[in-house]
Amino acid sequence: MNMQTGMKLSVAETALCEAYDHALGELPGDGAVLAARDVLISDFKEAGLPTRRVEAWHYTDLRALLRAVPAFDPAASAARIGPLVEGSTVLSVVNGVADARGAVEGVTLRTFANALADGTAADGLVARDGDDTIGRINGAFVRDGFVLDFPAGTELEAPVEIQTIQNAGQVHTRFPATFGANVKATVIERHVAAGDNAAFVTTISDISLADGAEVTWVIFQGQGAADTHLGQIRITLGTDAKLRLYVINAGGKLVRQEIHAVVAGEGSDLILRGINLLGGETHTDVTFTVGHDVPNTTSTEVIRNVIFDRARGVFQGQIRVAPDAQKTDAKMSCNTLLLSDEADFSAKPELEIFADDVQCGHGATVIDIDHTQLFYLMARGIPENKARAMLVNAFVAEIVEELEDEPLVEALEGVIADWLDKHA
Amino acid sequence: MPAVQETIEQVRQIDVDQYKYGFETKIEMDKAPKGLSEDIIRFISAKKNEPDWMLEWRLEAYRRWLTLEEPTWARVDYPKIDFNDLHYYAAPKNQTGPKSIDDVDPELLKMYEKLGIPLREQEILAGVQTSKIAVDAVFDSVSVVTTFKEELKKAGVIFMSISEAIREHPDLVKKYLGSVVPTTDNFYATLNSAVFTDGSFVFVPKGVRCPMELSTYFRINEKNTGQFERTLIIAEEGAYVSYLEGCTAPQRDENQLHAAVVELVALDDAEIKYSTVQNWYPGDKEGKGGIYNFVTKRGDCRGKNSKISWTQVETGSAITWKYPSCILRGDGSRGEFYSIAVSNGHQQIDSGTKMIHLGKNTSSRIVSKGISAGFSNNTYRGQVSAHRKAENARNFTQCDSLLIGDKCGAHTVPYIEAKNATAHFEHEATTSKISEDQLFYCLQRGIPTEAAIALIVNGFVKEVIQELPMEFAVEAQKLIGISLEGSVG
Repeated sequence: MNMQTGMKLSVAETALCEAYDHALGELPGDGAVLAARDVLISDFKEAGLPTRRVEAWHYTDLRALLRAVPAFDPAASAARIGPLVEGSTVLSVVNGVADARGAVEGVTLRTFANALADGTAADGLVARDGDDTIGRINGAFVRDGFVLDFPAGTELEAPVEIQTIQNAGQVHTRFPATFGANVKATVIERHVAAGDNAAFVTTISDISLADGAEVTWVIFQGQGAADTHLGQIRITLGTDAKLRLYVINAGGKLVRQEIHAVVAGEGSDLILRGINLLGGETHTDVTFTVGHDVPNTTSTEVIRNVIFDRARGVFQGQIRVAPDAQKTDAKMSCNTLLLSDEADFSAKPELEIFADDVQCGHGATVIDIDHTQLFYLMARGIPENKARAMLVNAFVAEIVEELEDEPLVEALEGVIADWLDKHA
Repeated sequence: MPAVQETIEQVRQIDVDQYKYGFETKIEMDKAPKGLSEDIIRFISAKKNEPDWMLEWRLEAYRRWLTLEEPTWARVDYPKIDFNDLHYYAAPKNQTGPKSIDDVDPELLKMYEKLGIPLREQEILAGVQTSKIAVDAVFDSVSVVTTFKEELKKAGVIFMSISEAIREHPDLVKKYLGSVVPTTDNFYATLNSAVFTDGSFVFVPKGVRCPMELSTYFRINEKNTGQFERTLIIAEEGAYVSYLEGCTAPQRDENQLHAAVVELVALDDAEIKYSTVQNWYPGDKEGKGGIYNFVTKRGDCRGKNSKISWTQVETGSAITWKYPSCILRGDGSRGEFYSIAVSNGHQQIDSGTKMIHLGKNTSSRIVSKGISAGFSNNTYRGQVSAHRKAENARNFTQCDSLLIGDKCGAHTVPYIEAKNATAHFEHEATTSKISEDQLFYCLQRGIPTEAAIALIVNGFVKEVIQELPMEFAVEAQKLIGISLEGSVG
């Protein structure tokens, strides 16, 4: 990507390049890690931040939207909080530093800082093909996180909650998680702000499921109104593996969640559910790609967006079916409630199909609240604002209920109701 | 439906991989030297006796074009075009504007016969008045014959080649040319603005319902020529016009460039229906040769309650890059897009539409049917957007793709953008293969595989075919059958 060479560096670009020079001495990592970081930052310098001319960033002109990047702030204060679901094992990362005391029974665990220090993390730092801005920035700056290894056959009763809490400064984390054959587990990844200061957060979760593993992974992003969150989830599914991925966005000023899945094992199933609760001035972009590379796999994606105020929502979804991936069954839908004339929403659901014996489809709607439903409720004496809130809640709650894990459903319904109370 | 039977017969008669319009007509040509420069543009303008303002307009576009880069975002792949290796003007000699069909070069008439185009002149001379279609035929760079001019004139409709219109109705042309697709629009449209050689001009005055279908046949004949035609259709308040366009080219090993611009303007309560059957030479079995079809088509629903409807059947061309669009500016205006895109062999299609909702209570409907076979790639790319003030914008989009064989690709890339809470957009897309059950049912009744596929495909596209004027519907069905020749077994 050399279309931007010759352009003057933006404020944010300059800040990131300078931050790298400053941080270099203190970033953890051996020689191999350092070499990998250097490649990433020089690629970043060359490409710059993406503009809308880069197709993958068509609706999120990061170069224009990212005005400034705060410096690292070692003095920022934050503290760990209670888990979303009672009884979860908590692994916390406070202001970008993982709590090394964290432990999960039956799971091999170490901090990502350790993996950087001994160089085992070096190979994973490589950016994805193409315009992987998040991979480049995160790879160059990443300091900590957790490496989770679930041995084959592990079945966890309670969820594992990874929480990152920050207040100001920059935070770059990574969570490589490998699930062995037939593992059954639930992981909650939660990103929250401890204060109102602007924080710049990048995070990458690298999720790989071996044959027969069944995993539920929930991402809850509830950062502050001034925060930037650039998240990426990389997924590889083995034979007969099943991943349910829930991505819930309910915060942040500038948010991009990228989900890149490779369905590489026959019989595997990917279920993506997204809920985007957007209010205030947020710009939130969920970009999803799935590659069905082998025959007989399925994926379904349902995204629900609720948009208030002056918020901007983006959904890009791409289903790719490789030439020999016959009998692929992939369905994607994206439904949006646009509730303000100052808000906007853009969607780009793509199909890219090279095999003929497949069932693929996508649907997208952008609508206002159904007036007949509203009338029905109001005719029964429910005031308009309450009736609206009920309908909006029903629109997203439907998805949460699919989880069939009562404590988790209740916890998520709780955070959604809280958010709607504040914004609706 | 009798046409289906006809399709089957047609498919039986024709050898596999036979492009029936692949003949070359030997006519002496008057050509501009290869290459593109201000001098060539002056040459073209002079050849056409154009007024100065037109030449200036062209030169401005050319200077602008020099600063533009070729777009690369479409999902098509082709070697870089050398724009200086083309003839930008080619005209049949002895061409002094034939008054009647008798004045036309007999070689040309023979070509029309071979084309089998609905040029009804002979029928009319014989007193057979079955269906009336006024035809303008564009041969390489110039319009050679326009029929029914007199009868149209009585109704107040102006239908002539655009070069004539520039000379005879400069005010109208000046007012509307470039008002929908400005000279600065995009790489190919800007090139077209600089070098366009001919095309059709239609003006339907206030309150007039055009008494017959208007039609233009385009043909690229000469080697190494690009065809750059420009079509401008204006429907004044309350007017209605239906316009058909068909295209063919001879078989050649090298690729030929076709970069047209079509502009439609609909004022208050006017309706324009624009139908295309595009059958440019698609290249041979190995993907050698064929037309590069890079076209900019746009309609402007400028007035209240105006309506523009695009219907296209795309079976030809090596590469198609085409997005007939509607700008829904007037309150209550409506845009429609119906498309069938069939790709076989090594064809690449990247086509779709744009529906830009600007006015209040505007609505649009998109139905796109893509069929990929052989080694082809077929992409639907479309945009639906509602601007801040476009209250109650409505859109319904349906894109269905059918894959025949496992070496081809079908892709869907819609862009949906809503900036108004009252917008109501629905989009659906599906991709599947021909149903085994339907195929089995046909085979069981003794219908051969290829005919059965044509039958099923015709069912798949029926919704769009119904939107075509009758004469074209029959032709389109035949074409689809022929295009899918050799796609199985």
